[in-house]
Amino acid sequence: MALDIAVLVSVGRHPASARNRRAVLDARALELALNVPGANIHLIHAGDADEPALREYLGMGVERLSVLGVPAHADVLPVLVAHLKALRPALVLCGAAAEQGAGSGELPYRLAAALGMPIVPAVAGFELHGGRAQLAQALPRGRRRGVEAALPVLLSVDRAAPEPRQSAYARAQRGQIERIAVPAAPLWQPPGEEQPARKRPKRLKLISGSGAERMRAAQGAAASAGKGQLLVQPEPAAAAQAIYDYLLSEGILRG
Amino acid sequence: MSTTPRLRNMRRPRLEGSGRVRRDPRAERLYCGEPAGETLSARGLPRRDPRAWYAAGPQANGRVRIDRSQRPGSASVAASAPLRAAEPALKTVVIAEPAFWVLAVPDLDDGRLSAHDRDVFGGARLLAADGGAVVAVCFGPAEGLDLAGADRVLQFDAAVFAGYAPEARAAAVAAVIATLDPRHVLLPDTPIGGGDLGRRLAAQLGETAAVRVQKLSAGEAIARGNGGRSDYHMAPPRLLLLAPEAADPLGGVRHEALALPVPELDTPTRLLDRGLLAIDPNSVPLAEADFICSAGNGVHDWSAFHAVAAALGATEGGSRMVCDAGLLPRHRQVGASGTLVDPRCYLAFGIAGAPQHLQGITRCERVIAVNTDLHAEMVKRADLAIVQDAQRVMPALTRLIEEKRHGA
Ligand SMILES: Cc1cc2nc3c(=O)[nH]c(=O)nc-3n(C[C@H](O)[C@H](O)[C@H](O)COP(=O)(O)OP(=O)(O)OC[C@H]3O[C@@H](n4cnc5c(N)ncnc54)[C@H](O)[C@@H]3O)c2cc1C
Repeated sequence: MALDIAVLVSVGRHPASARNRRAVLDARALELALNVPGANIHLIHAGDADEPALREYLGMGVERLSVLGVPAHADVLPVLVAHLKALRPALVLCGAAAEQGAGSGELPYRLAAALGMPIVPAVAGFELHGGRAQLAQALPRGRRRGVEAALPVLLSVDRAAPEPRQSAYARAQRGQIERIAVPAAPLWQPPGEEQPARKRPKRLKLISGSGAERMRAAQGAAASAGKGQLLVQPEPAAAAQAIYDYLLSEGILRG
Repeated sequence: MSTTPRLRNMRRPRLEGSGRVRRDPRAERLYCGEPAGETLSARGLPRRDPRAWYAAGPQANGRVRIDRSQRPGSASVAASAPLRAAEPALKTVVIAEPAFWVLAVPDLDDGRLSAHDRDVFGGARLLAADGGAVVAVCFGPAEGLDLAGADRVLQFDAAVFAGYAPEARAAAVAAVIATLDPRHVLLPDTPIGGGDLGRRLAAQLGETAAVRVQKLSAGEAIARGNGGRSDYHMAPPRLLLLAPEAADPLGGVRHEALALPVPELDTPTRLLDRGLLAIDPNSVPLAEADFICSAGNGVHDWSAFHAVAAALGATEGGSRMVCDAGLLPRHRQVGASGTLVDPRCYLAFGIAGAPQHLQGITRCERVIAVNTDLHAEMVKRADLAIVQDAQRVMPALTRLIEEKRHGA
């Protein structure tokens, strides 16, 4: 029995040219799904089926994209929940946040709550064994945490996931777009008065003290200035021991 | 109480500027080092001790400062500055009967309050300003909650909340919300910490949270969305996920941080934390690396360098000299024209510490340098500096780590 994976994709927007494109996180989610051997991938979008950028997902090597026909600025949650409840996939993959619209990153959580699935964010890779998913979750500083969950599970993907493959033009044009009629969806309301984002100044770190202290702080050596430990011509073994002890005491190495 | 005649005749241009020569006999006595410096010579003339200025010992930065300001007592102020810095008694704010509650849920990564966590408490205090009290909901022990601004503390210590347990934590916060009915709940919007927990809560409670809040005041929250292109101005909703620096942290006061009784909970756990995974440190981009072992022109034995980096589990880096020479790939270069790195620890073998290289590690807190030159800039910058041949230290360190690993 093939494994059913639903991949939810949206229309992205290039930050510089403002042109529509495949969303980078959604493309990464699809890339993860394409790497599962023998999976049955259901590519799903809720929105306008005539959007050309959607074909870029087909160009990654998927035959068909199902588009739930809701107008722009509709709340896509109810139609997605209804569609996924009927589909009953073992795995739902999506990007962490959309590049247009609210993009608050709440949709995956609402979806998981409505479907009664557990959700794991920031997934960088996964393996499936006997009805369970072994996930690698990306933590800051390049670390990874292992998380285990029983299927079905919803995974959201962020920038730590592997780069998506290129989209092939001919394949993109060959792919089918299946239009699915859905009941009218309520319109999405922005949570407040919308204004163009304003860049906010960084908080300045106030360093009081003498001129010499402020100069040192500006050079970034404030933390270490003056209290460094110096060993001149130690035996290599003693030097190694000093480095080892320092790394242990600072918690960089675990004993 | 005499003043020396020499001083009386001295010109003091700053005072002359006011049109009238004013004299301050007490300042003059101090300037002359009296009374400590006052002695009588063999002929009975008063003598001034020219070294009295130095008596206070080195002042700020270990430097002897000569105070010519003639301000009374200025020398003693400088000398006692480190003493004053040692904690003035802080005022404790007591909110005995709060009108309402505001919850703050810090991330407490590594069991410590981060700067972001403190900002969240600052925001919670803003929203609790008119008679409310801030309740910190913590998973595991935390220090400094009183200084951050917590009036009450709810600390969940059970094993189910340890590690990655977002479902159990969300259930616990939801239970607290159900009992206290707080006016606001604030979390830091971090990907796997508060951002995850807050969105779970929003989905569970069926509420819309204000996410990536850029600026928070008592009457308005400015959330960011639409791929970072739009700001949404709104009255603060119940759930708020704050970006860093959305509110200023508290300073100069202490709150009570009284422990509240922790409710018993039945918590779901569908996710199992399997702990940190072993990863190849060289697969991590240099900018993200946790621990970097870096080589400069002083490294000749490259197999020893790769061995020590592997033994330490550190990401490899290098100075421009070694990258130019093709000994390490270009994407391993640290510095102004390479990568600005931010590891927890930077270990430099045979790197001189050119300004362009040091610019790359300004944000790094712990630096270890191994260099044959005592006067290298890198040695001055380092927290632990070892003046020794890198070729001899690297194998010794590899051997030591291997021994400890097999011995343990
Ligand atoms: C525009 C510009 C941009 C630059 N950008 C960068 C940059 O991004 N990153 C960067 O790194 N550099 C950069 N540089 C180059 C920089 O100025 C230095 O030339 C370079 O950092 C020096 O590298 P180094 O310390 O490895 O070599 P060296 O300066 O040759 O220093 C070698 C050090 O190793 C020590 N040593 C020698 N033998 C041993 C031994 N056996 N054991 C231990 N120690 C030993 C020496 O005492 C010396 O301190 C830039 C320069 C310019 C002009």
